[in-house]
Amino acid sequence: MTTEAHPRAAKASVPATHRHKTQRHKKASGFWADHGWALTSVAIGLSIWEIISRFLIGNKLFLAAPSQVAVAFVELAGSGELQKHAWVSSLEFFWGYTSACILGVALGLVMASSKIAKQMLDPWVAGLYATPTVALAPLFILWFGIGIFSKIVVVALLVIFPVVINTEAGLRTTSPQLIETVRSFGANRRQIFLKVSLPSALPFIFAGFKLGIGRGLIGVVVAELFGARAGLGQMISQSAETFNMPALFAGVTLLAFAGIAMTSSFSWLERRLIPWRD
Amino acid sequence: MESSELAPVKLSVSNLTKYFGDLEVLRDVSTNMRRGEFISIVGPSGCGKTTFLRIIGGLEQSDSGEARLDERKISGPGKDRGFVFQQDNLLPWRTVRSNTGIGPEINGEKGPEQHHRIERLLKLVGLGGFEEYYPRQLSGGMRQRVNLARALAVDPDLLLMDEPFSALDAQTREIMQTELMRIWEEGRKTVLFVTHQIDEAVYLSDRVLVFARRPGRIQEVVEIDLPRPRPLSLKRTPQFVAYVDHIWKLIEDDVRASVLEEHA
Ligand SMILES: Nc1ncnc2c1ncn2[C@@H]1O[C@H](COP(=O)(O)OP(=O)(O)OP(=O)(O)O)[C@@H](O)[C@H]1O
Ligand SMILES: [Mg+2]
Repeated sequence: MTTEAHPRAAKASVPATHRHKTQRHKKASGFWADHGWALTSVAIGLSIWEIISRFLIGNKLFLAAPSQVAVAFVELAGSGELQKHAWVSSLEFFWGYTSACILGVALGLVMASSKIAKQMLDPWVAGLYATPTVALAPLFILWFGIGIFSKIVVVALLVIFPVVINTEAGLRTTSPQLIETVRSFGANRRQIFLKVSLPSALPFIFAGFKLGIGRGLIGVVVAELFGARAGLGQMISQSAETFNMPALFAGVTLLAFAGIAMTSSFSWLERRLIPWRD
Repeated sequence: MESSELAPVKLSVSNLTKYFGDLEVLRDVSTNMRRGEFISIVGPSGCGKTTFLRIIGGLEQSDSGEARLDERKISGPGKDRGFVFQQDNLLPWRTVRSNTGIGPEINGEKGPEQHHRIERLLKLVGLGGFEEYYPRQLSGGMRQRVNLARALAVDPDLLLMDEPFSALDAQTREIMQTELMRIWEEGRKTVLFVTHQIDEAVYLSDRVLVFARRPGRIQEVVEIDLPRPRPLSLKRTPQFVAYVDHIWKLIEDDVRASVLEEHA
């Protein structure tokens, strides 16, 4: 079968704008159709949790019910306590995460463009990526103090490796045919990089950024658990020590929402920046 | 044709030889192309057609001999040549318009006149109205049209085409042949066209270079003395069929050998 026919004829029957619309129409088939089952499943899960903790366990020190968590959440927010901790954690995450992304992309570029650099950095990147570096958090707190800097370092250390690895892999797997094509038009190295390698690596780089979100959040919390003046991790550990389960869950829930929110805004940004992908 | 006989030499290739390691891929290839000529290369698989084209395109270096374009020795890629690859190699993140304009963009040519040129070229290849499409939204034939438009966009002196239609189905392919003829009649570029399909070579060309293999070399140059413009029905005339038969006989043994080798 040939879909080719004559493009002019094709254009007459299906104008460009119309085609775009039909495609978009198929995708956006309503909020409920897209998320209905997910919401239902969450609602059922929360109900079961509520029933178990209220009627089977019935001990707030052991397991807090979602309703109790919600109350704790509102109380903590009302006193400004929650905001204070969340702000500190956000700062730590933000600085650690952004510096790791910038540095990670830069290192990935270096590794992709120089064989020697790649060979020299490979063992470190592979080794440190596989190591559970959160375990080193106490060490960083010892070195850099109890303030936010030690947490920034831990976050950065956790985020940087997936970013480096993905950036390097994305650049390296750029199709040689595409490179050759622009080379045949007389492109220099810089142009090849900017017009082919970088855009083709972009989806990989984004995947690295996304992987980094979860790891970065773990970094914040774990580093704070080991010693901090403020922050959600510190709040959680304090709640645990005082058996304040509702507050503990409130902290965890907030972190979960932060993770979901960041991941989905990244997906949104990705669709914006990488529109050529389905 | 009279005019092409008077036209000056565009490309002159003399004693080109190329090795890949110990493998002699091209031996002593010499030929001349006049401005506005359409020349095809046919030959069995592995006889060095692509390698030859790549040397002319400046993507590969020869081991001895040289190729000159307008008297200038070819030493690398340049905007005086446009390459149409077998795979369309469109950049997936660029629209049809932006893919087509990448050559001028690399050469630092921008502005409204460039914009209009691209617009005109896309109309010429029959893609008016598809400017904002991404490659994944196009059919194979349409992608090859973009591939062709992209090569034409640098306004090359020499158009190098390596089996550009081989990925297309038979009907689309015939349409593309006639379209290419129409475009060529309009601009009269000098075209060097590699194909496996003998009838395609005969239909399009002023001359067909028949390559032999092991090592790759020119076995015979066949002048195609058929009137232009050429309707598709020409393919069924005895003259046309005689050309095809003649070329087929030249390469038959070589093709058999190469097929057997590939299956061994
Ligand atoms: N980069 C390379 N390194 C080593 N050998 C190569 C390289 N490119 C091509 N060859 C060899 O050179 C010979 C000619 O290859 P080429 O691609 O030019 O043939 P071709 O005539 O275009 O074949 P086809 O019709 O199958 O496309 C083949 O034997 C091939 O294996
Ligand atoms: Mg080839």
